[in-house]
This record gives sequence, structure tokens and C-alpha cells, in this order.
Amino acid sequence: MSTQMDNVSAESRSLWGDAWRRLRKNRLALWCLVVVVIYTVTAFYGEVQYRYYQFKDEQPSYQRPDLDSQYLAPSLTRVLKGEDRAGRSVVKELLRHPCGTDGLGRDVLARLVQGTRIAFLVGIVTSIIAIPIGVILGCLAGYFGGKVDDFIVWLYTTMASIPGLLFILAIAMVVGQGLLGVYLGIGLTTWVGLCRLIRGEVIKHKSSTYVTAARALGLGHARIIFRHILPNVFHIVIVTFTIRFPQAISTEVFLSFLGIGVQGEPSWGIMISNSRLRLWQGVWWEMTFVTIAIFLVVLAFNLLGDALRDALDPRLREAG
Amino acid sequence: MFDVPETAMKNPIIEVKNLGLHFGPASRPVRAVDGVSFSIDEGETVALVGESGCGKSVTALSLAKLVSGSSRYVSGSVMYDGKDVLQMEESELRWLRGNEISFVFQEPGMSLNPVFRVGSQIAEAIRLHRKGVDVHDEVLRLLQLVGIPAPEKRMRSYPHEMSGGMQQRVMIAMALACQPRLLVADEPTTALDVTIQAQILELLSELQKQLGMAILLITHNLGLVADVAHSVNVMYAGRIVERGPSRELLRNPEHPYTHGLLAAVPRLTGSVGRLKSIDGSVPHLAQLPSGCKFHPRCPKRKPDCEGVEPELRESGENRAVRCYYPVKQGQHEER
Repeated sequence: MSTQMDNVSAESRSLWGDAWRRLRKNRLALWCLVVVVIYTVTAFYGEVQYRYYQFKDEQPSYQRPDLDSQYLAPSLTRVLKGEDRAGRSVVKELLRHPCGTDGLGRDVLARLVQGTRIAFLVGIVTSIIAIPIGVILGCLAGYFGGKVDDFIVWLYTTMASIPGLLFILAIAMVVGQGLLGVYLGIGLTTWVGLCRLIRGEVIKHKSSTYVTAARALGLGHARIIFRHILPNVFHIVIVTFTIRFPQAISTEVFLSFLGIGVQGEPSWGIMISNSRLRLWQGVWWEMTFVTIAIFLVVLAFNLLGDALRDALDPRLREAG
Repeated sequence: MFDVPETAMKNPIIEVKNLGLHFGPASRPVRAVDGVSFSIDEGETVALVGESGCGKSVTALSLAKLVSGSSRYVSGSVMYDGKDVLQMEESELRWLRGNEISFVFQEPGMSLNPVFRVGSQIAEAIRLHRKGVDVHDEVLRLLQLVGIPAPEKRMRSYPHEMSGGMQQRVMIAMALACQPRLLVADEPTTALDVTIQAQILELLSELQKQLGMAILLITHNLGLVADVAHSVNVMYAGRIVERGPSRELLRNPEHPYTHGLLAAVPRLTGSVGRLKSIDGSVPHLAQLPSGCKFHPRCPKRKPDCEGVEPELRESGENRAVRCYYPVKQGQHEER
């Protein structure tokens, strides 16, 4: 019976192994991954630092005003301009406020690190709120169709018809200023796109033979949706995560800039908001470094998202 | 034909009575299945034969109420163990599916979930319906049963790493996981090439002998039927037009449609000529002709064929035909 059976391939690759192999071929994506990892480590360091000061119950160094060193330019500029080093060696001087200080003499670099922490918190927490909503509603709408679908489509169309920022502002106002408002505002409004995508994919997969086969085995709806269909559309979730992450970050920056976001902590938005006042007087560094930080993380996430979309799609898998 | 113990026969495990299934709006229904009745006995192989779109797959899916989309059952019943499947609750259906009736589909590559290893897909079926068995060993046993070499290794393969024939074997293993009493094979060999087709059919009848399950074989290939099926139902435009024991029916087809189908099977022997075909095409199920649904294509039609549709009438022992002017034995022109 098994005369001309195909050769058993050495070892079958797992899905993730396969995706990683394809991602590795993409140089640019790898660099983006490196950038994202650096940011993640930075954010984690920021979190540890934050907890440390909280635990010791003292004012963090990045918040402590140091009126002796207001508006210090970045160290490299200072050294190149030959400013007074007050007896410090060049190396030591270079390590002192490398990105300069702000109007209260606080180190810009340290505040950038804290800003990264806030940005990642916002990106992650809003995803934790938005992605499950989008995935679950999308799956239900796509799988059950009919009345359920009508209701969910109505719901997200209504959500989508309200101007996003106003909605976020409204929620943030209701919940009150601070991070919680930002989390809920962004989290509760940004699930629509994902929900739409998932719904469409689930509709497509619902009519595929493997779903009929699963039904023919007597599997329940929940099991078919979440164990059989969801893994097939999960690459969308991952890609959406990488795309909405920078969006959430920029929304937070915007909200904080307007003063209804983060309070009392150095977020990127607050730093931009503060630095714009003295920008025309030549205090360029705070604005510049924050912008670069935002630019890099948004760019890296977007490019990585693109590459992941290609790498993770199960349909693009190569045969053994 | 296989030796089927007499005692096993005549004990229908599933009886379809006057099944009617419509798609689409009630005002302009697509009559996919119209008044289909048949039964399958314990350990028997029944074939359902017909062209694409004649309603055979939908009939098969109805056995476990698996038809999805905008379908409505307008008449009939599917009796399984004295219960009507069409009236069953979702939980009863889930018990029925996989456990009692299981399915093998046409496209093995599409029927397996692309993101799971085949071993875990079979394991899922076992875990679902059978408690207290060693799942790993059982998966191995099943893969061996369906003739997959190096099953220990193959368990960890993904579907796309296997050939079509192998995938179909995995599907069969999955279908057998819970020792069903009825296996519905919906064109199990259509997507495979000819040598693999023979292997799969051989496997199916082998397994039937071992496990004693009944098989409903759906196919459009009458040539397959002769070797494996005990009885044949020929479907046309959502109805059964002829039924009978396979040998007899193939030797003496009575309905002109069956006759045409048989004439269309290419032969290896005899004179080389154009392949025969049935003139015309299958009517759209929303716009069926009056009278006998086959009459526009029938070479033997008479005026009254357009009037009232003929009933499916007994025409001999275990045979029935839906035609006013069935071809009688010995009347066949030489092919």
C-alpha cells in the first residue's frame, strides 16, 4: 500500500520557526527588530528605575530640579564649544547630561528613558484593552453572521463614525486626567480596524473545508472559533499590534501635549510641550531628542509590522 | 462485491425519508435536494452518484445536519437510531458527529487545519469523544491503520508537508478516531491522482472489513462504484432517479441518465473514438424543467415526459427507477 510514499522530511519546522526563517531574510526588518528590542530594554530599565524611587519613596532624579544646571546643552556641543568643564575630564564631561538638561536642570536623557517607559506602557496596556475586544467581536461577527454580525457591525460603524480624537478626549475627560484616562480612551476606541479585519478573515475561513471537517468531528462553536480559526488569523493580530503600537504612542504624546494625558511624569508629549517654549531661544535639544526617539520607534514598529505580515501569513508557508 | 454477513444486512442505521432542502429566498428557492429517500444498512457501502451540483454532497452533509448557509429543510427526516437528526439539539448533534457519523472530504489539503500538526488534529478528535485512552498511542495506531509509514515521525508533520494521498489518509484516520458506525466519504478520491485513488478506495474497503462500519460513498465516477459499493443511488437535479444493487445497476441501467453516465465512462478496450457525453447541461436548480427533470437532455423522451414528473417506482428486486420509459434489460444497444 505504501510503495511510493514520499520521503519523510528530516524534521518538520514549527510555524514560528518558519516565520523566523522568513523574517531573517529581511535585513531591514532585523534592524527594526534590534531597535524595538533596544527600546523595550530601555522601557524596562525605566520601569525598574521608577519602581526603585517609588519603593524608596523619594523624588526621582529625573524629576528633581537642579537650578545650577538649567538649559545645559548636550555634552558633545558643550565640549566642542569649549565650555568650562569645571575641572572635569573630557570623558566625564561627555557623560554628564549627554542630551542636555531642561528648564529645571533635569537630565533630558533620563526623562527620555522615562518617556519610553510611559510610551510602552500606553502601547501595551491599550493593546491589552483593544485587541481582545477587536478579536472577540470580530470572531463572533464573522462566525455567527446574521443578527450577531448586524449588531457588531452596527457597533463598530458607530464607533468609527465618531471622530477618534474627540472620543478619546471625551473618555479621558470622564475618567479624569492621567494615565488611566489615556489607557481607556485609546483602548476603547482603537479596536475597530482590527475587528473589521478579523471579521473578514473569519468569514473567509468559516466556509473553508477544514472548518466543516471540524464541525463534522463534533467540535463546539467556541472550540472551532478560538482553536481552529483564530490561529489561522492570528498573524493579523500580531501585525495589527505592531502597527497600532506606534499609533497609541503618538496619541499619548498628543494627549499629554494637550495636558489631558500623563500628569507629573515625564512623558514624551509633556517634554515636547515643555520644550516648545524655549525653542526659539535656541534650546533645541529637548525637542530634537524627543522627536528622534518617537520617530525611530514609530518607524521601526511600522517596518517590522510590514515584514511580520509577510513572514507570518500561514498561506505563504513554503512546503517542506 | 464483498461478503457481507446476512445478519448485518437489513438493519438500517440511517434512514433518509423524503428529504427536501432549499437554499436562498423562499420566494425563489434553489431546490438542492427534493424528496430524496434512501437507507444505509449496518456494514453496507452505499454509493451516491451524480454530476456536480446534483445535490449529492448536500444530501451527505444533511446526515449530520452539517449544511450551513441559507439552507432550509423543507421536508423529510433523517432517522438515526429512531431519532430525527434534523430535529436534534446542538449537543446531540455534536455527539452524533464524529462519534457515530464521520466524514472524509474531497480536498484533503483543505480539510486539515494548516496551522496544526496532523498528530494533534487526530488527537483532538480522540480527546473529544473518547475518555481514558492513551491519546498518543491511539494516534499512532490510527496512523498505522491507514497505512502511513513512519507514523511516529509523521505525527509531527504539518499538513502541507504531506502529499495529497497522505493527507487523505490522515483525514481517514481522523474520521476513524472514534470508531463511527457510518463513514461518509464525500468524493474522497477526486482530488487525487489515479493510482492513489485506487489505494484510498482499497484502504476504505479494507477498513470497512476490519471495523464493520457502513460507508456512504459520494462520487461522480460510476467506474469506482462497481468495485466498492453494494448498492447505488443515482442522483439528478436533487432527486434520486435510479437505485439498485451496484452490479446489476451497472450491468442493466434502466434510467436513460444512468445509461448516459455509463456510456460516458472512458474504456480502455474497444474501438477508439470520441468520448461519449450527455447532451445539454445540468439544469439550474432554481429553474427546473417541468415533468421529468431529465427530459430536455433525454434521448428517449416522449411528449408526456414534460407533463407530470414520474415517481420513483419499483422495477425489480431492490431496484427502482424514476422514468416512464425505462430501458429494459437486453434493450441496450451495443457499446
